[in-house]
Amino acid sequence: MEVVIASSPVDAGIGCWDLHSGAEQLRYRSCTSTPHGLACVGQRFLASSQLRDSSSSSGSILYWSWSKPQVEVKSFPAEPIHPLVSNSDGMYIIGGGSSGAIYFWEVASGRLLKRWHAHYRAVTCLFLSDDESLLVSGAEDGCIRVWSLFMVFDDIGMEMAKNPYEYSFSEHTLRVTDMVSGYGGCNAIIVSASEDRTCKVWSLSRGKLLRSIDFPSIIEAVALDPGEHVFYAGARDGKIYIASINAETTSSNSYGKHIIGTLSDNSKGVTCLAFSKDGILLVSGSEDGTIRVWDAKTHNIVRIYRLAKGPVNNVLVVRRPLYSNRQTSENSHSSFSRRHAPLLPPPLGKYVNSTDENVDSGAVSVPQTPSSDIMDAPYLSYHVLTKQISELQQQSSAATGMEVDRLNLDCKRSVEIVQKWKEMFAYLHKFCVDELLGNDQTQTQ
Amino acid sequence: MARSKPSSSKKQPKRGVDFKKIKRKIGRKLPPPKNATNTEIKSKAIILPEQSVASERAGLAVSKKGLTLKELLQQTSHHNAKVRRDALTGIRDLVLKYPAELTLHKLAIIEKLRERISDEDKVVRETLYQLLKLVIFPALKKDVPGSLISLMMAYIFNGMTHLATDIRLMAFKFFDLVVQHYPSSFFMYAEKVLQNYEDILRKNHIYLQDRSKLKNALVGLVRCLSLLPCNRRTVDPSYGKNTETQGSLHAYELEVPKEHTDFSSIIKRLEDILPILVNCFQDFIPLVHPMSSLDAQSFDCMLYLLRSIDLSVKFFLYGIDKHQTDFGVTKPTYNEKDMPVWGEIATPVFLRKFLEVFPLNQLHNTSGKDEDKFFILNIEITEIFLHSNEWIFTSAILMERFLEFIENLLSGKIRFNSRSGKALQEKHLTSLLPFIPRLVSLVANTWKSRLLQAFTMAFKDCKPESTLNLAFLSAIEEMLLPSKRQGILLLDASEPEILDHQITWIRELPVLLVRLGDTLSSLSKVILHLLLRLGQYAPMNSSLAWEYDIMQHTLGEFYSMCLDDGSILYGPFMKLPKDCQELSVCCLYYFSSLDSLLLRSLVYCCLCDNLEPSVLFRIIDVLHSAYKIGHLQLVDLISFFVTLVARWKVLPGRLYTHVENAKKISNRETFKAITGAVCSCLRQMGDDALIFQIVQRVILDEIPLNPPIDNLCGMLRLLVILDSRPTKLSEQSIIILSNSISEYLIDAASYIPENGDEVTDSNQISICQYYLVPCFFLFDRSDKLLNLVLDLMGSSIGEDNSSLACNHDTQHTLDLSSRIVAVVSILLYMHQDIKIRRRLSSCKGEITRILQKMRLQVYTP
Repeated sequence: MEVVIASSPVDAGIGCWDLHSGAEQLRYRSCTSTPHGLACVGQRFLASSQLRDSSSSSGSILYWSWSKPQVEVKSFPAEPIHPLVSNSDGMYIIGGGSSGAIYFWEVASGRLLKRWHAHYRAVTCLFLSDDESLLVSGAEDGCIRVWSLFMVFDDIGMEMAKNPYEYSFSEHTLRVTDMVSGYGGCNAIIVSASEDRTCKVWSLSRGKLLRSIDFPSIIEAVALDPGEHVFYAGARDGKIYIASINAETTSSNSYGKHIIGTLSDNSKGVTCLAFSKDGILLVSGSEDGTIRVWDAKTHNIVRIYRLAKGPVNNVLVVRRPLYSNRQTSENSHSSFSRRHAPLLPPPLGKYVNSTDENVDSGAVSVPQTPSSDIMDAPYLSYHVLTKQISELQQQSSAATGMEVDRLNLDCKRSVEIVQKWKEMFAYLHKFCVDELLGNDQTQTQ
Repeated sequence: MARSKPSSSKKQPKRGVDFKKIKRKIGRKLPPPKNATNTEIKSKAIILPEQSVASERAGLAVSKKGLTLKELLQQTSHHNAKVRRDALTGIRDLVLKYPAELTLHKLAIIEKLRERISDEDKVVRETLYQLLKLVIFPALKKDVPGSLISLMMAYIFNGMTHLATDIRLMAFKFFDLVVQHYPSSFFMYAEKVLQNYEDILRKNHIYLQDRSKLKNALVGLVRCLSLLPCNRRTVDPSYGKNTETQGSLHAYELEVPKEHTDFSSIIKRLEDILPILVNCFQDFIPLVHPMSSLDAQSFDCMLYLLRSIDLSVKFFLYGIDKHQTDFGVTKPTYNEKDMPVWGEIATPVFLRKFLEVFPLNQLHNTSGKDEDKFFILNIEITEIFLHSNEWIFTSAILMERFLEFIENLLSGKIRFNSRSGKALQEKHLTSLLPFIPRLVSLVANTWKSRLLQAFTMAFKDCKPESTLNLAFLSAIEEMLLPSKRQGILLLDASEPEILDHQITWIRELPVLLVRLGDTLSSLSKVILHLLLRLGQYAPMNSSLAWEYDIMQHTLGEFYSMCLDDGSILYGPFMKLPKDCQELSVCCLYYFSSLDSLLLRSLVYCCLCDNLEPSVLFRIIDVLHSAYKIGHLQLVDLISFFVTLVARWKVLPGRLYTHVENAKKISNRETFKAITGAVCSCLRQMGDDALIFQIVQRVILDEIPLNPPIDNLCGMLRLLVILDSRPTKLSEQSIIILSNSISEYLIDAASYIPENGDEVTDSNQISICQYYLVPCFFLFDRSDKLLNLVLDLMGSSIGEDNSSLACNHDTQHTLDLSSRIVAVVSILLYMHQDIKIRRRLSSCKGEITRILQKMRLQVYTP
């Protein structure tokens, strides 16, 4: 089931609607998300980084399972986290901090695998390239950096290399508001929007600026057409501009060069955009608290959802496993569903645990099938395994004592046998020698 | 028979004479018979000014002497040098006269002319050189196929290996000419050419006598070497936008075959040449030491030698650098096995020896002019040293000498004596400055501080319009900010001394910006870019960031300054081009807390008529963004917005005159857009009630100043947008507002279309609505306000009688009647609106009072 999830910086919870039928699903409570701070982790649960007072030094990230409106897991990283992103199978969560650091957590254990200083100012948006080998981060100072995840975990390589990142683009003069990447992994293009009223198109393979498009207003969100012919830019003036990537636009029209049209509903500023999986429906979130679903082909509004009075700042289109739907509809099977309700992973760690980092550097995961029993699939990392082993050992200390006794007995018995064998050997030896000598004596005699 | 014949001839006289025998000598010709006809033909040349005897040449292109191109070309291979020369000048005339002839027959012309490259006659060669240089190459610049060049090159190489030295040197000159016009041709023949250069330099002692010729050859070498790729340290970083030519980004790109040259052969040749160059230079050194002055020719030779050494060193460095940074993005052009040879082992040995000669002529104090020459040479050597510094391990003593020289140069202890010296010095400093950051980061601490000291002094002394500033700025950028390529800081800002220097530079920047004015916008742009980078990259809470924040006090002057007498002095910001303005506005975003003083000077700029609206909107945008990340106080921002709306000058002008005064109309539109932008910012700020309180307070401060109708309308709009129903306005503010609104309504009434008018202008209706709608909103939300306003309107009609009694009667009555008309039309207009009609019904008392007063007024006079 494809659902639209949306969150707001004011406490309106996370709204969830079926994209195709329009029916509202559960609303997950008490969420004040940061921009780009909503993520669906491996289709299993929702995670959102929370707005905090500037006074509090630590941030917070909350988890909701699909089935319950209450917050299930709370974790408190060392600093406020703004953007949050997860890889497609939900192995890792990556967050960008307000000091410019990027945090890299393993979901299953909650361990902070890596924290590195990425920017000089707060990180504003993050995304992974579609092959999940590159991480692209944008910051408040207008800088965009491309990180290779291989390099990030290669400490020696990092020291050897001149710079830890693959590319650093600094052509934006103000805060980067949103970024989106095309298909093709490391050969893709990125489109970035900034408060300097431009959108820029970059090439990941060549590491250079391909195009810079000036807009009449600040662009808050960008979404890329699946065919990569055009991209949609949601502006603060309430319009969604359509800018061409692949078409030749020679004549500059009323909006400016490369801009070929708008989607407009006379609403307040557009804050976020997302495409559905089929690439036809475009979902936009607005300052006025509504979420509009557009048909990108006909430029018409298909549906409008209302989240809150305050602005919407995150919109995602995700697939939601079906069983949880069944669970909400059939109350009679509550006991059954509770049994099936997945245990959410432990909270995220605060600091990099340097002591056991060397011991277990690799993670083991069992790939999951995207079926309804997704939650039952084993999902264990090496770290968890070792922890379990050590626990097992602690539990059976008495048993090991008995074992030692038994082994001691065995040992004693073995020693006795050896003794016996030795005696036997000595006896045989003596016998043989006597025999030989006796023969000699008889011969000489 | 043969023997008998002479004897018989002796005997003959003894015989009897029967008949006379005619003596004849054998082999002698018979004398011509007397009656023979003389068949000899004698002729003399007839020289005609035009040889138009044979053919009709009316339509043909001919030279001054009437020769066609074909004839001229034939004559170029004439055995007489004079004829050849004349033919060449003839070709020149012809081509100048008929340029089409050249393009048609270029192949034939070049084919013939090339034979003259190794002509024995000096004058012919010289004429050919001039012909090629001045006429043929410039004309053919656009379309010259490689085949043409290769045609020439065969003969040039022939000339280069000619026995006569003159021809040989001349061939180099020709090659220089070719390279000058078609730089790519060097790479095609690089190996061979360099080989030839090597040969000729090896035998330099032969040519040492004739320095001008050696100089010519060296000029060519310098030109060739400068074509080699090297790490270009551009003084002016290219902030320009990339080319926007590409229409579709995913389109198939034609792969342009890049000029792929095999550098390895060039490397080998250069390695051979470099020692020879050094030797050659050292041959000149004895000339330096005696007290005699250095003549210009040998000075030039030395200079060019140094330049070529410099260029080849640069090329080696480029190779090493490229090898290190090759990520496979650019094709590796060198073979792996060639790499170790690269300079690292072979070259430094003699280079080190060569550098030992530095500094030239330090002891001898000769005449001023010579000193300049030595100075230039010294600078060249220093440059070579700095280039090679990275891979030669130099001795400390030598290092000291160089560093001292650089320090002296920076601090101006060494100066040029001649008049043009100042410009020269700047030029040379520009070439040295890019090395300073690296040098400073590498040398020992004592030298670090001395160099920085000198650098800072020089930067401070530098005149704003000097070209040196660019070089200084890029050096400063390198020393202040983490470099773009490596992402690490070159200097450790934690050392207090370095930090002191850095702070001095930062403080100098806004001062420089203000002093520059709008004279050099390119330089201003570089400074602003540096400031922006500083704002972006200064680590949070570091002393650099702090210094950046402090800078806003001095930066206020850049925008505008309020003088003591209340007049405003606009800073350079207003006059700079738009891209600079945008950059400076972006800088505002990075101040961690924007100063209200800076905001004030910014607001003066915004209120100026000359500021482009787009820049104004950018300012609003940026300030709002700055507020969002907490760099700006809420109160400051709101008072900025309200001031903007309250004081922005809308040019007066009637609306229906839009045909003539299109500009004035657009001005009003701009104001509407500003109001709209401010409104949307205010609405996005969050807590409406709190913001409303602040806005209300600020607006009430502004209203007693009697703002023009447009501004008042804008302010009312701000209030309406934030207000809710029922109103949140306080009692006191309602009273103040009612005063101004009543006046405002009467003013606005003039825009109400008259009832009887059939053809009302749609534009006028919209304007009228624009003015009145905010009032209606307020009335709708507060009955009290409506009552008060109606009261005031009524009393304004009534009180006039007493207060304006002293006025002229006619004037008074006119005034009064128009006032009455205004009030009536307002009331009628209000009555048309359904919501307001409902409200009006509750204040019948006020309306009847107004009517009574009107009647009173009408009947009293």
